[in-house]
Amino acid sequence: MASPSPIPYDRRSSRASSTAGQPASDLLVVGGPPNSPSPLELFLRASNLPSSKTRISKIPPDLHMLEYVSSCDTNLICLICHSPFDKPVKLACDHYFCRDCLDHAFEVQPDGHKTCPTCRGRVDTDTGVLPVPKILEKMLDELVVKCPNTKSGCTWVDSRVNVNDHVMLYCEYTLVECPSHECRLPIFQKEFHKGCLHYTLSCEHCHTSLMKKDLEVGYITQRHQKTHCSNRFTACPHCDAEVLRLDLKVHVNDSCPKMVIPCPGTILGCHFTAERTEVIKHENACPMATMAPHFRDQQARIERNEARFEPLARKVGILEDGLSNITNMLYPANPNDSSFPVTNPLDPNHSDAFPPAPLIPTPDFRLPPASFPPVPPTNDQSQTPFNNPSQPPFDSQVHHLLTLHDSLRDEVSRIANALTDLEGRTNMMIINENQRVKDEMLHTNAAINSMRMQLHWLMSATLHQRTSNSTGTSTARAGGSTSSNSNGNGRAQGASGASTSLGARAEASGTLHAPMRRLSDSTRQDTKL
Amino acid sequence: MALSTGARSNGGSATVAQRLQKELMDIMTRPTSGVTAFPDDENMTKWTATIEGPDGTPYAGLTFKLSMEFAANYPYTAPTVLFRTPIYHPNVDFSGRICLDILKDKWSAIYNINSVLLSLQSLLGEPNNSSPLNGQAAELWEKDMDEFKRYVLTRHKTPEELDAEI
Repeated sequence: MASPSPIPYDRRSSRASSTAGQPASDLLVVGGPPNSPSPLELFLRASNLPSSKTRISKIPPDLHMLEYVSSCDTNLICLICHSPFDKPVKLACDHYFCRDCLDHAFEVQPDGHKTCPTCRGRVDTDTGVLPVPKILEKMLDELVVKCPNTKSGCTWVDSRVNVNDHVMLYCEYTLVECPSHECRLPIFQKEFHKGCLHYTLSCEHCHTSLMKKDLEVGYITQRHQKTHCSNRFTACPHCDAEVLRLDLKVHVNDSCPKMVIPCPGTILGCHFTAERTEVIKHENACPMATMAPHFRDQQARIERNEARFEPLARKVGILEDGLSNITNMLYPANPNDSSFPVTNPLDPNHSDAFPPAPLIPTPDFRLPPASFPPVPPTNDQSQTPFNNPSQPPFDSQVHHLLTLHDSLRDEVSRIANALTDLEGRTNMMIINENQRVKDEMLHTNAAINSMRMQLHWLMSATLHQRTSNSTGTSTARAGGSTSSNSNGNGRAQGASGASTSLGARAEASGTLHAPMRRLSDSTRQDTKL
Repeated sequence: MALSTGARSNGGSATVAQRLQKELMDIMTRPTSGVTAFPDDENMTKWTATIEGPDGTPYAGLTFKLSMEFAANYPYTAPTVLFRTPIYHPNVDFSGRICLDILKDKWSAIYNINSVLLSLQSLLGEPNNSSPLNGQAAELWEKDMDEFKRYVLTRHKTPEELDAEI
């Protein structure tokens, strides 16, 4: 809580009630420009008061004074102030009161004999005053209240827990001290930035003195001019009816029977002009007046459509530019080649001179038939096509663009098809090649296998030969020593000799094994290639 | 604490007016049979109330007018209540002053106009004869009820008669 001394509050609140309550009569500061010190101000300055600290300070709202939106549970009401509890406390005897109410009740009781207002039970003021349950505080916080400045015009309604913040920070109708250093009168927070408004003016109609602030604040002005101002009525200059000055304009424009007005059919050419009563009679007979509302409707519709038209036209211009950019990008033709239409694809004059497919696979891009005049895609013209009466109608432009768009789309799909085709073909080629390679590999594998088989056979044959040879030679040597010219032996020796030579070759092939393999590798490589 | 006391004491009259406003609202919306109260003027510090004599007492069928005056620190101090209708009662003197504990030292802040009037109504039927303002009435109440009743009726004036006097 802010803590200015209670004295300025007192002064301010009493001042507030006297000035705000009687705006017209009870004027304390009389005359003079805003900053000339009045006797009252001098007095206030003399009797000072912690000035700078309390300048913009506001009075915190008194919860007892609040107006509650709905009636509140009777259990939440303090028996002393008959309002919902404000900062409630509990006594040992289980009776609840607002802290302030209880303190006041204790104040008038003799010291040492404080009793509970409800049950007269003795209360020890040091230990007998207890906090209340949280739920009670919650229930109190949720009570819905109106802003204490409701009477000044504030419409705020919210939970009670927020009222302090609202009044101290946000409410525009909270009274604060006048921004002028000379003046200490209160003023609404929303008027604060306007400077000191506490000087008197006279109402322009009744010459009653009023505070500037009261004329500034809308609702008081209206109240003054509606109910207080002695000169608030004025006679209508046309019909002599007495109307409120505030309402005079409305009266003359809308209802004064003597005001001279034209027939409502004037927009259709009716030239009748007379007093309102006459015009009303005339209206019933005038066909143009009957038609007028319809025409006004149509007019309004046309205006609406025109308003919508403008941005659309601009959008078309932008789209056209974009399109021509795209086309130029797609067909970067030689600008010198005037016969090539893509330099200006929007020019349908060239569409007939389109050359048959050039070197690159140019799409079959045909422009729409030249059923409308050319639309040069220059910026300034496309952005203001409607200021120029020679421009083609809006429809044909759109049509043209649409056709262009269509042909572009066709081309794109064609390219897409070609791409798919190409892809398919590539795939096919890859598959074929793969197949071929696979076949060849199989071939090679088979050849290698047969070679291995052969080698195997040869090896095993050689091994076989060698074992039989070793036994054969020993017998042959024995036989040779005994009988060297035996025919069977000689044949056997010949065979063994052949087998020996074969074994030697097999040995040689065994040593040559690695290079042989490398050879086969190289041959495989050859087949691969 | 000092601050809030200060704030409240300076706004004291407003608090009184507000509390009395609430009480008036309460009395208007939920009237209690046998008692009425209404403020005399706009600032609400003075009220006029009536109570009807309870059945089974010497005051049965009679209506008594009272004045109530509220100090600036009401409800922390008792209101000043006086009988405007002359009444013959042990605890009321001839000028209408009342001897009732709750209007003196037994006052509590939770009492209100309605409870004060109801207390006075019950006081009519059950006087406190141990501390009388009107000794003769106290004596008579104990000894001779019929005589007491005669005194009551002699002294009584209807509100109309009272108004005519003024």
